[in-house]
This record gives sequence, structure tokens and C-alpha cells, in this order.
Amino acid sequence: MREPGKAASDDDRPLIERVRKGDQDALRTLYERYFDRIYNYVYARLGRAEDAEDLAIDTMTKSLTRLDLFHDQGGAFSSWVYRIAHNATIDHYRRHGKVALVSLERAPVPESADPSELAVEQLSNEDLHAAIRDLTDEQQQVLILRFFQDLTAAQAAAVMGKTVGAVQALQHRALGSLERALQGRAPN
Amino acid sequence: MTPEVERMERLAERLRTVEPFIPPPGAKIRGWNLVLAAVEQSTAARVRVHPVRRLVIGAAAAAVLLLAGAGAASADSLPDSPLYPLKGVLENARGVLAFGATDRLAYHLELARIRLTEAETMIARHRADLAGASLKALDDQLNSAALVVQSERHADPAAAARLQERLRQAVATDDQQLADLQGQAQTPAAASAIVQARARAADALKLTQEPSASPTASPGGRPSPARSNGQASPTSTP
Repeated sequence: MREPGKAASDDDRPLIERVRKGDQDALRTLYERYFDRIYNYVYARLGRAEDAEDLAIDTMTKSLTRLDLFHDQGGAFSSWVYRIAHNATIDHYRRHGKVALVSLERAPVPESADPSELAVEQLSNEDLHAAIRDLTDEQQQVLILRFFQDLTAAQAAAVMGKTVGAVQALQHRALGSLERALQGRAPN
Repeated sequence: MTPEVERMERLAERLRTVEPFIPPPGAKIRGWNLVLAAVEQSTAARVRVHPVRRLVIGAAAAAVLLLAGAGAASADSLPDSPLYPLKGVLENARGVLAFGATDRLAYHLELARIRLTEAETMIARHRADLAGASLKALDDQLNSAALVVQSERHADPAAAARLQERLRQAVATDDQQLADLQGQAQTPAAASAIVQARARAADALKLTQEPSASPTASPGGRPSPARSNGQASPTSTP
């Protein structure tokens, strides 16, 4: 059951047209379609329910009140909403600071750690979330979009402004970093 | 497949099974109210940019808008809107067309939900007075719904039991939402109004368990009669 992370729909354009004409039902439908996903995305990034709530509301308000800025030229509305959510998290980090934004790509693996011994099935969701938040901004973003939001590589690429190949490479590096981060968290 | 790729695959699979964070219902409702208010505000701001054009168009369409458009627009109006009383007229008209206990119950429960949403928006806009009035109107609708259940008990006890369960669920949902709202209330007046509303909602539910004093309660599914405060709800000032 992953409803909030369900892949973004491409059927938003008719709704957006109706919202532009003042249709409140269409507005509500768009809101319902995206609020849970954005909340889930922001929560995974920040790890605090209160902040996630405020930022999700802020994102939805910006997205739905500034539809005139959304130029529907092949780009998906979902990509636009995720970009607004991403910018909101970056603003949040700037205002409130972010703890330990250190790339783990080159972080030393603990001497006792053997990646092959990491029992991923036994990892708690909390450990996974915490370890993801230790990654770089882009690594967090790619993992959350691909695995928590169930976006395809192409959809994630559209959100992140990268090519599909770049997203796939980034995803591979992010998983490696995550593995190391989890290894570092594993009890000795 | 190399051991490293296998490990990455396993990790990716594990990530896919992580349960999503679900927003609390109160957050979603609060967000919707704020989005709605922001959209209304931005629409109004856009209209102000072109006053001359608006005047010309407005003059041409005034007659039509006054008769038909205002009615439609009022359907989504809020207690601080000049169109709000018109919303009551339309709601009353709908009430007249609600036949049968099931329809009448659904009608009252829907109006109760609308009043609750209005109260939340008013609290978000720091209008504790209007929020209090909406909460009173919410409880009036729940009372009317309880009277529908009570009067149905004479005609069809089995159906009355089903209606009572629907009412119980509605009251429970409303109470949960009110509890969330209570946590967000920024003034003692708003908090007090919410506390009273929760108590009255619980009383309405108790009413369904009491023997019917008046089987003619909630005649014809019409909304509850006018209250002392004329702004309590649009249905209170037909």
C-alpha cells in the first residue's frame, strides 16, 4: 500500500484548464491528487511532521495559485509541483540550517563493516529514513523520487532537470552511499 | 550480476517497501482551506488589475450574473462573504427536495460537514466570531440529523439503526476534526467555541438513543430553524 507515492498522473492538463477557468471542483481534485505525495516527499526530506505539513501546504498553495506561471509545453504538472516542493525544502534548510550535509560517497567505511553482511531486510524504516537524510541533497532527492514516490527514471529526470542516464548514475551512487551510511549506523 | 549490483538491488527493493508517511486528516483540511483562501485572494487580485475591462464586462453581464451566477457563486461562499446568505436560500431549497429519512440524514450530514469546513476557514482567518457561529450551525445540523433518526425509529427500527450508525460515524469523524482544530485554535474564544461544539455534537448523538418525544421532528427534511444569531449559518436566515 503506497498510495501517496503512486506514480504521478499525466492527466492533469484538463484539470488545470478547468482550474484556470475558476472550477473549484477541479482545484480540489488536483489538491487531493498531490497533497499526500508532496507531504510524503517533504517529510522524507525533513523528517519532521510539523515542517512537512507547513511545507506541503505552502507547496500546494504556490502550485495552485500560480498556475499562470506553469507553461504547459510538454512538461508535466507533477514535475513542476515536485520542483516547488524541492525548492521549499532548500529554502527551509537555508532558514533553519541542515545538520551534517556531508557526501558519503567518499566517507570512510568503518573497518569492521562488511557491506555484504548488511541485512537490508532487517533494517527499520526509521533507520532507512535517517540514513537517507545523511546523504547529499541530490542523492536524497533521487532515492525519494524513485523509491518512495515511485517515479520512473524519466519522471525523476524531469523533476531534477537531468538526463535519464544521469539520474540512473546518480541513483546507483546514492544507493552505494546509503549502504555505507547504513553500515555506519549498524550496531557493532 | 556482481555481488555489488545484487546488494544494490536488494537495498532498492527494501526501499520500495517503506510505508509512506500519511498526513493527518486535519493537516489536509487545513491545507485545503488555506489553498482555497489563497486562490480566491489571487483571483480577486487579478481582477483588480483590469478595473476598466471588468467594468465593461460586468455591466454587460450584470443581469445574468445577478440572477444565475450569484446563486452558483454563493454555493462556495464563506461566512465572511456577502453572498453567504444566498447560500442559505439554496441550501433550504435543497432541503425541501430531500425525501425519505436516508436522504434527509445525508442532507443534514453534508451541511454539517460544510459548516465544519467553514468554521475551520474562519479560524484560519482569525474570525473567531464567525467560526463560533458556524460551529453552532454545525451542531444544529447534527441535531436535525439525530431527530431524523429518532423519528425513523417508529416507522422502521432496522433502518433507524443503520441511520444511527451513519450518524455515529459522522459525529466521530467531525469530533476528530474538531479535536485537531482545537489544537490549532489561536484564541481562547475559538478554543471555547470548539469545546462547546464537541459537547453539543456528543449530545446530538445521545438524542438518537432517547425515546422520540416528537415524531414530527425535522419536518420535511428542512434545515433547522433560525437561531438567535442571524449569521450562524446561511440556512438560519432563509
